[in-house]
Amino acid sequence: MEIDRTDGRSPNQLRPLACSRGILHRSHGSASWSQGDTRVIAAVYGPKAGTKKNENPERACLEVIWKPKTGQSGKEEKEYETILKRTLQSICILTINPNTTTSIIIQVVHDDGSLLPCAVNAACVALVDAGIPLKHLAVSICCCLATCGHVILDPTKLEEEKMKAFAYLVFPNSINSILPEGSSHTKSKQLEDGLVTSVTHGGMSVEDYFHCLDRGRAATARLSDFLRKNLQSQVLGEGSKAG
Amino acid sequence: MEQRLANAWHMTVNEKKFIEAALLLGLRNDGRNLYDYRKLTIKFGREDGSSEVQLGQTRVMGFATCKLVQPYRDRPNEGTISIFTEFSPMADPSFESGRPGESAVELGRVIDRGLRESRAVDVESLCVLAGRFIWAVRIDLHILDNGGNLVDAANIAALAALSTFRRPECSLGGEDNQEVIVHPPEAREPLPLTLHHLPIAVTFAFLSEESIVILDPTHLEEAVMGGRMTATLNTNGSICSIQKAGGDGIPQSVIMQCIRIAASKAADISSKIKDVVEAYNNERSLRKIKRHHVGVAAKQ
Repeated sequence: MEIDRTDGRSPNQLRPLACSRGILHRSHGSASWSQGDTRVIAAVYGPKAGTKKNENPERACLEVIWKPKTGQSGKEEKEYETILKRTLQSICILTINPNTTTSIIIQVVHDDGSLLPCAVNAACVALVDAGIPLKHLAVSICCCLATCGHVILDPTKLEEEKMKAFAYLVFPNSINSILPEGSSHTKSKQLEDGLVTSVTHGGMSVEDYFHCLDRGRAATARLSDFLRKNLQSQVLGEGSKAG
Repeated sequence: MEQRLANAWHMTVNEKKFIEAALLLGLRNDGRNLYDYRKLTIKFGREDGSSEVQLGQTRVMGFATCKLVQPYRDRPNEGTISIFTEFSPMADPSFESGRPGESAVELGRVIDRGLRESRAVDVESLCVLAGRFIWAVRIDLHILDNGGNLVDAANIAALAALSTFRRPECSLGGEDNQEVIVHPPEAREPLPLTLHHLPIAVTFAFLSEESIVILDPTHLEEAVMGGRMTATLNTNGSICSIQKAGGDGIPQSVIMQCIRIAASKAADISSKIKDVVEAYNNERSLRKIKRHHVGVAAKQ
């Protein structure tokens, strides 16, 4: 049984993606990521000397600031900041620049559903633009469960509001290994099956959740390809950026 | 990486001397003339009332929204306009999140004086039910990139957002016409605001020696300048506001000359804003027609 989506997409189809890197001049790294009408700008400053009060000075520390489109920052923004910080902490190599703080600032330009995944993707590209050492990239996607039991990917705001439950999932980027097959096969296999972050809203059965995970992971292959193509083409085109 | 580890950006003595020496010869380090503006691009977002302005390396976004509230007691049939400026930490490593600093408050006040106190927006048309309900328009300005001269760019962003903003249409209903019914945009076309004139802010920077005056300083020139002045004018020849807060003392003749230059620049920028807004409105009505035709065809 097929489900009808208002913009005519199939359940597994993502909205058109657009990404640009290095759009701001003062920040050390910046990126703009848009999925359909949802658009987020991320900027990275760092590493700066010193860590915050309760942070471990033997490691690098991350700080996330989420700026909503209108109005003051409230509890929802604090929640996004914490989720984003923990997600990005797990992909950054924190032992390389100890006793430093890297700030990531997210500005919401337009929210048309799937906002947190968009922000995670933008932050990832901004970190690459700033040259912060990362273990691997992260790709993020929103999967939602309709009342009839179907799983839909990348919903718009209207779709998100009508769904029974939805989950924001962050997966590690699939690795394009240059080493011969079999050498680190088990390690990379473990990594690819991993899940970095999962935030769910609404109730769903365990089976449905695993269903969402499978569909989400399958879609991240497309996201990973897009990300890789985008980053590679810009690297070949530009010289070095000092400071 | 060493430059990044430093917690604040300091201008080196070499850079300072270079800029000052070049200005004494009438040269600016990006090749402009003393009274030239940088390249200005105004873009609009998906929704009505969202604008993105890029002036050289400075980037500002403006969002206009509205809400139905109770009016102030001494002005029962006037709407309100409020401006919120956010110096986002993304714009400059020295901007911190939290309470707005002095320069953020000053910027907000200059734009506020230029827009609200000069009565650029018709606030009486924002009244729905005198004494009970009025539209409160809120403009959020987000500074994304500080390349210098934030006031001018933020002012243009606010004007562009207001020019393309549309508020929902509402009518009075209920038993004794005391209830306000707000119509969704699908039911009735939202209405634009009435702008009587466009107050354009033009900023000058003064250098201590030889009273050198430059227009539209970059952030490097701002670090070197001795004082600045912002004049907000419109194309009718009225001065809406002048802001010169401290800094070096400037002779009166120089101030008058600056205002004359500002008048011609304001005319340029004003016509640019009008052109861009007209193009946006045309594109918007084309989109509406397309959607209407698709809707009609679907019904058939």
